[in-house]
Amino acid sequence: MRGTPPMQPSAAVRATAAMQALGTLRAVRAEWTKLRTVPGSWWLLVAVVALTVAAGGASAAAVTTEHCHPTPAACQEDTVKLSLTGVWVGQAAVAILGALAMSSEYGTGTIRAALTAVPWRGRLLTAKAVVVSALALTTGALGVLGSLLVGRLVLPGNGFTAEAGYPPLSLADGPTLRAAVGSMLYLGLIALLALGVAALVRDTAGAITVVLALLYVFPVLVSLVSSEKWRERLQEWGPASAGMAVQATRNLHSLPIGPWPGLGVLALYAAAALLAGGLTFRLRDA
Amino acid sequence: MEATIEVQGLRKQFGQTVAVDDLSFTVIPGQVTGFVGPNGAGKSTTMRVLLGLDSADAGRALIGGRAYSALRRPLTQVGALLDAAAVHPSRRGRDHLLWLAHTHGLPTRRVDELLETVGLGSAGRRRAGGYSLGMRQRLGIAAALLGDPPVLLFDEPVNGLDPEGIRWIRGFLRALAREGRAVLVSSHLMSELEDSADHLVVIGRGRLVADTPVAELLAAASGDRVALRTSDRTRAMAVLAREGATVAANGKESLSVTGLPAERITALLAAGGVPFSEVSAHRATLEEAYMELTRDAVEFQATDTQASEPRAAASQASESQASEFRAATGDGDMR
Amino acid sequence: MSAPVRTAPYRSQLPPARDGFGQLLHAEWTKLRTVPRWGLVLLSAMVVTVLVSVLAVSGSSVGGGGPAAPVGPDGNAVKDTMQLVHERLPGDGSITARVSGLKGLKAPRPDGGRAGGPPAVNTGKTPGWTKAGIIIKANTKSGSSYAAVVLTHGHGVRMQWDYTHDLAGSATRPDEDRWLRLVRKGDVLTGYESADGKDWRRVGSVRPAGLTGTVEAGVFTAAAPNTKVERAFGGTSIAEGPGRATAHFDELAVNGGEGGRRQATIGRPAARDTVPAVDLASGSFELRGSGDVGPLQTDTDITRQTLSGAMIGLIPLSALGVLFITAEYRRGMIRTTLTASPRRGRLLAAKAIVLGGVTFVAGLIGAVLSFQLGEPIMRRNGHKPPRWPELSLTDGPVLRAVIGTAALLAVISVLALALGALLRHTAAAITLIVVMLVLPQILISGLPLGAAHALMRATPLAGFAIQDAIARYDHAAAVCLPEEGCYPQGPWAGFAVLCVYAAAALGLAIWRLRRRDV
Repeated sequence: MRGTPPMQPSAAVRATAAMQALGTLRAVRAEWTKLRTVPGSWWLLVAVVALTVAAGGASAAAVTTEHCHPTPAACQEDTVKLSLTGVWVGQAAVAILGALAMSSEYGTGTIRAALTAVPWRGRLLTAKAVVVSALALTTGALGVLGSLLVGRLVLPGNGFTAEAGYPPLSLADGPTLRAAVGSMLYLGLIALLALGVAALVRDTAGAITVVLALLYVFPVLVSLVSSEKWRERLQEWGPASAGMAVQATRNLHSLPIGPWPGLGVLALYAAAALLAGGLTFRLRDA
Repeated sequence: MEATIEVQGLRKQFGQTVAVDDLSFTVIPGQVTGFVGPNGAGKSTTMRVLLGLDSADAGRALIGGRAYSALRRPLTQVGALLDAAAVHPSRRGRDHLLWLAHTHGLPTRRVDELLETVGLGSAGRRRAGGYSLGMRQRLGIAAALLGDPPVLLFDEPVNGLDPEGIRWIRGFLRALAREGRAVLVSSHLMSELEDSADHLVVIGRGRLVADTPVAELLAAASGDRVALRTSDRTRAMAVLAREGATVAANGKESLSVTGLPAERITALLAAGGVPFSEVSAHRATLEEAYMELTRDAVEFQATDTQASEPRAAASQASESQASEFRAATGDGDMR
Repeated sequence: MSAPVRTAPYRSQLPPARDGFGQLLHAEWTKLRTVPRWGLVLLSAMVVTVLVSVLAVSGSSVGGGGPAAPVGPDGNAVKDTMQLVHERLPGDGSITARVSGLKGLKAPRPDGGRAGGPPAVNTGKTPGWTKAGIIIKANTKSGSSYAAVVLTHGHGVRMQWDYTHDLAGSATRPDEDRWLRLVRKGDVLTGYESADGKDWRRVGSVRPAGLTGTVEAGVFTAAAPNTKVERAFGGTSIAEGPGRATAHFDELAVNGGEGGRRQATIGRPAARDTVPAVDLASGSFELRGSGDVGPLQTDTDITRQTLSGAMIGLIPLSALGVLFITAEYRRGMIRTTLTASPRRGRLLAAKAIVLGGVTFVAGLIGAVLSFQLGEPIMRRNGHKPPRWPELSLTDGPVLRAVIGTAALLAVISVLALALGALLRHTAAAITLIVVMLVLPQILISGLPLGAAHALMRATPLAGFAIQDAIARYDHAAAVCLPEEGCYPQGPWAGFAVLCVYAAAALGLAIWRLRRRDV
């Protein structure tokens, strides 16, 4: 600052804030470069889209109105949710993406180099969070749109026709749009959850196991536990089962938790994981 | 089993990159053979093929006349240190040796014995994740020695060792060879082998550059040059040139003389009344000799900071002697 | 620098070494036990298995209530409700009748149409196990021993006895008629069938335990229950109600009978139908019936429920299986391993055996604890005999389920090992195995029954069929619902599917490891 006229404090603060923003931006770019230069990342991104669409399409193809009695409308089948079943599979690839962004640095020891380049640990984690969530949102959008498109093409052939009370899937429909956007956000939050857990656990195998357990154990428990009260609780508390409520477009009143509050539960999980991971990251030696 | 390593016409390609190309050499027991070449020259690939980890595209890599995969009780035939970092970090050092010992039904006693030998006695009870690079090297050496094999392969064993450790390993390698073992030690730094290797196999870009005893290589590299320090450069040059010597000026007071032995030079200078402060037969370092050999074979010189620093200094010193050295080695053992 | 000195080649003074398969197993075991974290993973797998099992059974309750089911000759609960026309048969003799016009009727309301009771279940179809035929029964009490030859709506002629036994006769079209005959000689009962009353074909000879002295011989009609399953994501509604059927009998003749033909209602049917006395005497009448005769298929498999924690316990064990091989690749330790044992197929086999053995033991501890802790909880929650028979760890089916659970976990961990060796990527391998085994469990609850059964047959999830410990009878009409832990195949068939997956993956992994540079 020598040689320049003294700045007003507010200007100095603003300049510092701008510098910090710039620093974060640079860190984000660095993280993006790191991720895109590993061939495995591209496979994962392709997997997110492909698995989501394939599993969604398979589910849509497997369900017909045959068993509906007396008319197809009696089934009350939630065709939007059905078409988006693939998110259950795609989220696994998103979880790997989020977890690896952090844990692979510990696995290969590049975390030291990363911290030398971006010494402020909060910024490093923020940059990673920005990159993985952006990727999850983008691939999620592709996967969700692809699934809805496949559903739109496949479902009428299985008896889910407009005459039978199942209008073709369309984003112009409010609940459908909410389910689509919600599913994208869902995948973004899964990436953050996985990143936070990985920052906390620091080990690929441990992180991925914990995340998968969080995602899949609750729904399995729901099917195992016979007490109705506990079933409902588990559905409300589980990050995946609560978050997936955002996909529902029919019989909303019978859901254990509403669409947006459900996604909120997942957001709480992601926030808690990031916070705990961030604290660990800052307090522990790399 | 005859304790030898035989590599014949070995070729190994990774995609488009030829890692090893028509490589042939033999390692005999009783001496330390240095396996030298710059980073990426194909040393580790050759070792991996020798150990049956990679398959050769052409040629043979035999130990005691057999392919590694055909060896019975391989740890008792060959010991290898490939990558010192290859230890599970949560396993204790001793346990790492223990499972290796168990593959051959070797007693636990042997593990503790070796931990003492390599100087890891009490550290063996600690988790390998907390080891320094030097301790991991020692653990790797202990692993190689578990089966007490007559053939030993060490890939860059000096890496990460402190000076005391380097001295220890040099002595250790020589002692192993003296017992009648065939010891192949790779390094990208010739200076590391200065006092330990008896024989050298030099490769560059996957091809054999030299296969020669260290003594011969040094003699050839030294040539018959004599370094001379004198305050009267002009007269000294005149006196010596008259007797048929080639004289080159290196600096203000120093000359390099070829074509006359040192004794004859002192006699001539004394007779001519030329003042001189020092006459010494030039003795090349292994590093100098190696630099000459691999000058064309160096592939990643710019990125190879570890290797290039000492080498840069050495190459400046030997630059002027390059052409003479080539002539001297032309009829020698070199290819 | 000394000149090379040729010395005598080195000879080791060590005692001779051995590198057999046993040594390799020992080495792999040492590897497994010397990473403390892996021990913790094993422990957590056991704890998770037991905790989830206990959690799963602790909220269980017995739904419905209703009248206690009758108990059959073997002490187990049975279904025994029918309309019977019978006369006494003190000794040897036979009964013959022609059955025709068997078909389902509109279903009655359960509980006899009491106001506020559940509605009738109508599917518009006659269930395949709706039956009418001739029977020799110890007495007219529900649950007594019997032998019968029946014509069914969808499964042809059958000979059935003492509820759980069933023999197939010839196949029939739904509208066909048949002559049926049952001959009693001593304690042996032999069933015959004929299309025309002249050419008789033997169906089988049986020896029911309780048919001694004076017995009842007659004809009966019984209807399999109507079931309607509606499944949509997030829930299944299953409606089951009594069915009702009718059949026409003629040419009824009882040799050796005491005469005095009477009609009796066995059990408590939802609808009562009477036949005029004059028709009874003539031997040609229409007999309507409601209710079923056969084993009582329980919908709750206590053993399976107490072992359900294995579905979650498999997650840490899969992670361990993957890590057991990928940890070798992560730091290049695989090279050390392969220099010590260059025969790569043997190496993977040794790893699989050690891992499988260790996870089997961990799984067995988890399964035994789960069963021993869970079974009393189920009992406390109302699962009592005779509907839910006494169980002990040493019973055949329970033992199969408990040991099978351990074997299941062991095979899953070996599958994980193979996937880890194939993918060489920890995260991808763990995710793949979890998605392969856990996700189908989630998805099957929302798929149509056919698709759900296909998943349960074709994916590695099929292995969980080994946890089946209740007898399932083909001749007892019951819907196999995934939510109730019913697997569409037998225990061993399902387990074999998982084993095929594991063996194929391991074979592929060995093939790849052999071919590739490391």
